[in-house]
Amino acid sequence: MLEIKNVRFAYATSGGPALDGVSIVVRPGERIAVLGVNGSGKSTLARIANGSARPISGEVQADGERGVDLVRVVGYVRQDPTCQLVSARVFDEVCFGPANLGLKRREVVLRAHEALVRCHIEHLADKGTAELSGGQQQLVAIAGVIAMHPRYLVLDEVTSHLDPRAGEEVAALTRSLVDEGVGVLEMAHDVRSVLDATRVVVLEEGRMAWEGTPTDFLCSAKALNLSSLNADSRARAICAAVRAGANPGDCGDPDVLSTFALTHGIGRDVMGTLGQRADADVPLPRHELALEAATVCYGDVLALDAVTLAALEGVTIIAGLSGSGKTTAACALAGVIDLEDGVALLDNAPVRPGCVGLAFQRPETQLFADTVADDIAFGPRNIGLGEVEVTAAVARAAHEMGLGDDLLDRPPFSLSGGQRRRVALAGLVALDYGAYVLDEPSAGLDPVGRSRLQAFVRRLARGGASVVVVTHAVGAWLSVADHVVFLRDGRVATSCGADEAWASSAPYETVGLPVPYEVRVRELLGGGIHG
Amino acid sequence: MASHVALGAYMPGDTPMHRLDARVKLVLLLAMTVAAFCATSLLAAVLCIMSLAFCLFVSHVSPGTVARGLRPAAIVLALSFLANAVVVTGGADITIVGQVGASSAGVWRGTLAVARIVMLVGFALVVCATTMPTQMVDAASSLARPLGRLGVPVGDLAMATSIALRFIPVASDEYDRIVLAQRARGARFDEGSVRKRLSRRVSVLVPLVVSLFRRADELALAMGDRCYSGDRRTILIGPMRTVDWSVLAGGLVFTALVCLV
Repeated sequence: MLEIKNVRFAYATSGGPALDGVSIVVRPGERIAVLGVNGSGKSTLARIANGSARPISGEVQADGERGVDLVRVVGYVRQDPTCQLVSARVFDEVCFGPANLGLKRREVVLRAHEALVRCHIEHLADKGTAELSGGQQQLVAIAGVIAMHPRYLVLDEVTSHLDPRAGEEVAALTRSLVDEGVGVLEMAHDVRSVLDATRVVVLEEGRMAWEGTPTDFLCSAKALNLSSLNADSRARAICAAVRAGANPGDCGDPDVLSTFALTHGIGRDVMGTLGQRADADVPLPRHELALEAATVCYGDVLALDAVTLAALEGVTIIAGLSGSGKTTAACALAGVIDLEDGVALLDNAPVRPGCVGLAFQRPETQLFADTVADDIAFGPRNIGLGEVEVTAAVARAAHEMGLGDDLLDRPPFSLSGGQRRRVALAGLVALDYGAYVLDEPSAGLDPVGRSRLQAFVRRLARGGASVVVVTHAVGAWLSVADHVVFLRDGRVATSCGADEAWASSAPYETVGLPVPYEVRVRELLGGGIHG
Repeated sequence: MASHVALGAYMPGDTPMHRLDARVKLVLLLAMTVAAFCATSLLAAVLCIMSLAFCLFVSHVSPGTVARGLRPAAIVLALSFLANAVVVTGGADITIVGQVGASSAGVWRGTLAVARIVMLVGFALVVCATTMPTQMVDAASSLARPLGRLGVPVGDLAMATSIALRFIPVASDEYDRIVLAQRARGARFDEGSVRKRLSRRVSVLVPLVVSLFRRADELALAMGDRCYSGDRRTILIGPMRTVDWSVLAGGLVFTALVCLV
């Protein structure tokens, strides 16, 4: 039994406690989901649970092991696989943990093979870890932990960086581990973790704000609010069904949920929870961003193969599995990589670097200037604006992102993660581009943070800009989108209006992308209610 | 964002040379280096060239790759050949202009000097192309294990080396991402004075270094989470197979022969 008893923890750098009076018990074969907004203490709790952070007061023990020995029984998988892979080769990576235990060589190799088979990645054994996709890397990270035969696993938002198919593989693997008797403590933003959980805990500012069963969680307005899952349309739909008596464990399948809703007469209610699409509120004149027959190669690999796509007005989603060429398309649209062939056009003129705003995942990690104001001013200065205009642009961008004047003279590294992200976005809007390309902007954000970002994106579109959002989370972004382009193997597989992708599986199925939960439910309920 | 295959990089494959134990390859590379410098007779030189040709053949490395490897050293090679061969003080076997000519002994010395470098580059490329960097580190640390008795932290050094190898692609991806994002914000990396270009690079290096430190911290924690302590690790490199021992013995006999003839 993994027992966390009345734990309190504080970081040396910040004032208040990061955790205060937290108590959680995980038994073998149990799965505890821990929810809470960004900064509520989930990752700290994860560190406490495997003994790599020591609480100021309180106690942590697992089957009698305490302190530094906890790592021997409690495995830990992080959200970013690139930060936890030690070896250049997959098989060595999986051997790393068991070898540290000082086991016999034969035993280490045996365990590594067994862990690879359990994670269904034995075919990757001789591959380099750097050449794998994010999803494959995460499976390797899990295999590396499983090979140590932990009795408990701490999973810290392990699916937040993965594409939907890889996310499903990791979720299925987690379920089978729980069935085999491993106790799992899972930090999550995703309602899926709640459905499979034995119990749910919600953290708020380091304290246990709520605790109960998945059914109680989904029926409690307070718990949903605290975890910010009320801002997630899929979570709201599942809540509606569970309140009408559905079993949470069955609600992971949109077909089951829809059938339940129709047979219990709550079809319209569930449909209502899934929300509406944003109005077509994009004024004229508006900007158009496009790729024409764009081809990009990396060595022998054809990353984009004569891709023609247009982001006509409003918000365009680019969707596709890992390796489909999404990020390359984003860079090509922003004009920052050389095309082998073809051209990127903004309002029918070739895109030069600096004409189109571009932000990658976690843009806050790219701040570099001494003060917030200088960082925001980087773009305006680069295009040769005078100091008066630069100051005006900085003030406008800071205001747009809700950054107070008092922050402008502070060093970016002294701000919180959320503030840094807003500084990075302010640096983006300071140039007042006609078009923006955002690559996975919502990865790792809690549902409320994601909604705020979506409102910001919609504001950009309403200002006449063409905004391209590259994302795995198509279901969550459809409500603010106007068009969807589906990429597959470096080509445009299909494209359609967001209204078509809103309630029809067809476009997803043609490209082999898992159908977003919300879309499938809308399709089934729409047919059921009207048919 | 993969770039082109670098010279001396590992080439995935399944040739007998790929399957050969990395320790054997390293020891024989060392032995062949010694042999190449000991060899002075024509027979020894021919034996060396034949053995290189044989190694290239069984490892599927093209002679073109060796030529590419020699390109950076081409000028030095040409100079060392000329320095040996050309005589400017008279008494040359072959007169070119007046006092200037070539001595046949000098031509032989020059050829030998060039051949030695070709041998070294060739064998080194064969080993690099057929051995993963991680295998190389494992083999080197296994061979250096006796140094542990003298207090050299062989295990830690090996781990540090292999992590450095692991993070080269990560750092280069991160660098690319920052450069792309800053280009989109109007930064021109290829324009302006040297001073201006350098200051541009600083704005890339700051987030890169910050991010690498963050990753290093995370990685240290992740290693701790998997019980890494530096010592008492299982040595993963297995015992050598009979075929490895035979190749080692054969190779050593061969190099001894080259030194003696």
